[in-house]
This record gives sequence, C-alpha cells and structure tokens, in this order.
Amino acid sequence: MSTVITILSRMILLLLVWWAFTEGDRSGIGFGLVIVILASFISLRLFPPGTARVRPLPFLLFMLFFIGRSVVAGIDVARRLLSPSLPVNPGYLTFYLSLPEGSPCWLLANTMSLMPGTLSVSLDGTRLDLHCLDTRDPVEADLKAVEQKIARVFGLSLHDGAWRAGGNE
Amino acid sequence: MTEIVQMVQGVLLIAGCVFFAIGTLGLFRFSETLTRIHALTKVDNLGLGFVVLALLPGMPSLASGMKVVLIWLVALVASATSAHLIARAVRSQERGRSAGSEHHD
Repeated sequence: MSTVITILSRMILLLLVWWAFTEGDRSGIGFGLVIVILASFISLRLFPPGTARVRPLPFLLFMLFFIGRSVVAGIDVARRLLSPSLPVNPGYLTFYLSLPEGSPCWLLANTMSLMPGTLSVSLDGTRLDLHCLDTRDPVEADLKAVEQKIARVFGLSLHDGAWRAGGNE
Repeated sequence: MTEIVQMVQGVLLIAGCVFFAIGTLGLFRFSETLTRIHALTKVDNLGLGFVVLALLPGMPSLASGMKVVLIWLVALVASATSAHLIARAVRSQERGRSAGSEHHD
C-alpha cells in the first residue's frame, strides 16, 4: 500500500516538473506521461520506499529555514572574503549523527554543505566529517539545530543531537 | 508600478552579479581547495538565487516561473553534491599523503 502511495506521489511530483519544463504546453503531455512513468519506476529501483517518509508541512518549513540559512552562508563567506585580513581558520571536525542512516543523513550532509561555514567531506553510515571555514564557529550547535529540523521533516524524534568525536587540526 | 518592479529587478540582478563576482574572487584569495569550494558553492548559490528572484516577475506564466525556480533548485543540489565529491577526493588524497604511502595521480 505504501509503495502505491510512493509511486503516485513521485509521479505527481515528476508531472509537475514536466509541466514546468514544457512551460505549461499541453501538446507534449503523452510523451511526458511515458517519461514520468518510466522515471518513477527507475526512481523506485534507485531509491526504494523506506520507512522514512517526508512530511509536507515540516518540509516546507525546512525549505524556508534552509533558504534563510543559505543566504546567511553566502553573506558570511562574502564578508570574510572582502575583509582585508581574510578571517578564516579552516579545519576538519567529525560528528556522529543520531539520525537514522539513509535519506535523513544524506539530506543532512547536503544541507550542511550549503550552511554557513561548513562543507560535508564524507558520510559513512552516521559518521559525518565536516570541513569548517572557521573551527571557532559554533558548528556543533548549528548541526544539532539542522538535525532536529530534519528529524521533524521525517517525523522522527531525537533525544540528543549529534555529538562531536573530536576533530583533528 | 511597472517601473518600481523593473527597478527592483535591476537591483536584484546587480546583487546577483556582485555575489558571483565575489565568489570568483574567492578562487584567487583563498589558497586551499576546500576553502575555495566554500566560496564558490555558497556565494554563487546566493548570486544565482538573486538572479532567479529578479527574473520571476517578468515570467509570462506560472509554469515558466517554476522552471526558473527548478533551475535554481537543481543548481543547488548539483553544487552541494559536486562540492561534497571534490571535498571527499581532497580528503582521501590528504590521508594518503599523511600515511606516507606513495600515490600516483
């Protein structure tokens, strides 16, 4: 049953993408439908429907949070770049995530790459290596906040956030 | 009214271009690969975001507006993914070097 819902919601999403691609032109809809059906089945092979389901409303809130933070990220790097002393203190930090493996961790890693001052280097299970533009920044607090938000997107509850395993450098 | 919209569009376009320029400046000012990626991904995404925002009011239909937003979203995902891949490659190269083993590129 959940597979049917997954296929249907993916097909609706892809149809919306097709509609945007063709700028609302209805003449190519037959071809579009074939592509949408094929793409949904391929997506099913690549990303099987898991236990983690995205909830629409928290996801929308997450997107707003994400856009706000990525604006801050861009301004933050621009500010550092334009100041003559170039205030950066780069280094690696390692964290263990409390999110379940799979899409929640993957979403977190990709989000962190666009958050202020952090870049995901490697994600191995729940172990996340971050490269930080400035290791003096409150990276851990940032990560915990994002983790909580992603947990809400997938309808999970987290008791304690990510904990730091001690970075090098 | 249209004049105000056009002025806002102009300001947003200029802001977008300024951010793209700053991102490129990052390539020259930062010395390490990873800090350069920080500059390129974050600042350029913001620049593209401003350009997309500037283009939205002039779109003839909702669908073409969504197409432009889609371009921004796909660029975001692509830059996050490629940044991650480059960072991973740099990291494994560094690890190889610090382990003292010889690596041939």
